[in-house]
Amino acid sequence: MSRKYKKMKNSQLYKGSLNTIIMKLLEENGKMYGYEITQKVKAITQGELNITEGALYPALHKLEAEGLLDVEIEKVDNRMRKYYKLTETGQKENVNRLSELEDFIRNMQSLVNPSPKLEF
Amino acid sequence: MKLTTRQIDQLYLFTRQHYVEYYDLQTELVDHLANAIETEWQQNPKLTFDEVLNKEFNKFGVFGFMDVVESRQAALGKKYNRIVWEHFKDFFGIPKIVLTLAAALLLFIILKASTYQEWTIIGLYLALFGFTIYEMIKSQRQRINKKKLQQKRWLFEDIINQYGAFSGAILLPFNVLLQIYNRIDSYVTNDYFLLAISLVLVLLSVILFIIFKLIPSKTQTYLKQTYPEFKLENL
Repeated sequence: MSRKYKKMKNSQLYKGSLNTIIMKLLEENGKMYGYEITQKVKAITQGELNITEGALYPALHKLEAEGLLDVEIEKVDNRMRKYYKLTETGQKENVNRLSELEDFIRNMQSLVNPSPKLEF
Repeated sequence: MKLTTRQIDQLYLFTRQHYVEYYDLQTELVDHLANAIETEWQQNPKLTFDEVLNKEFNKFGVFGFMDVVESRQAALGKKYNRIVWEHFKDFFGIPKIVLTLAAALLLFIILKASTYQEWTIIGLYLALFGFTIYEMIKSQRQRINKKKLQQKRWLFEDIINQYGAFSGAILLPFNVLLQIYNRIDSYVTNDYFLLAISLVLVLLSVILFIIFKLIPSKTQTYLKQTYPEFKLENL
């Protein structure tokens, strides 16, 4: 029960940042495939954040259609693998979205954890 | 443990059984499931292929692959609309704009000189209407044949052949036309109205030409651009 609740909480709060997370990861790692992204996020957040498959692929397809991501296909083992990478527009957009996210984090921080006023 | 080729084929079958008709989406989902199964086997080597597959499939939620299919459809639908729009804009750039305007003007002159203006207008519209129906039935037949032959289906190819979201919109002006027809006597004597309807008919023809002739003739180019795997498949 508590596990389920945690997952729900995750999806609500993180939903808006999913695209930014994907783009940031692609910027760092060059090209990645869907499953790799889910595993990477899990590893970085030590299992705290679990991107669901049902959310990841729609996000990837949307970013691709918007021209922010490009795709590549490689034959790996006995199957085909679809890699995503940032386009030039995607790289620029990534910078914007990251700074937006940082602002958001900073503002949330000061709202949730107001630092004591220094002037008396 | 790596998946065998037979198991990969089984995964393709699994996606088809779960309403993923398109090869491009099947491929992406098959690779995802295969990776997930291989990872799971490292932790629980005793589980059977089917057990692990079901476990992984459940992670997609109650609607299974539906969300993924729908979002892909929406994304590619947008892409298609953008392509139509690009081509349409083309007709308003030099030199094509001269042709567009000349056609509208010519139609205007013909309508003005004609004694049967309303019949000319209705006739032209019905010709466009007939052309639309004819092309739609033709491509519907081709699609059914392709399905029978069990060839690989590409989502974007189907969107091109089903004319994206435009198929319904093409027939829409029919109501407007009927409205106008009821009051046609007062309209046809008005030059502005004649000019407007000439322009509308020409623009309608341009759109129909783009979606039924121009874009389908470039299907291969668009598919190669959308799907890198298309080249691998059709070597």
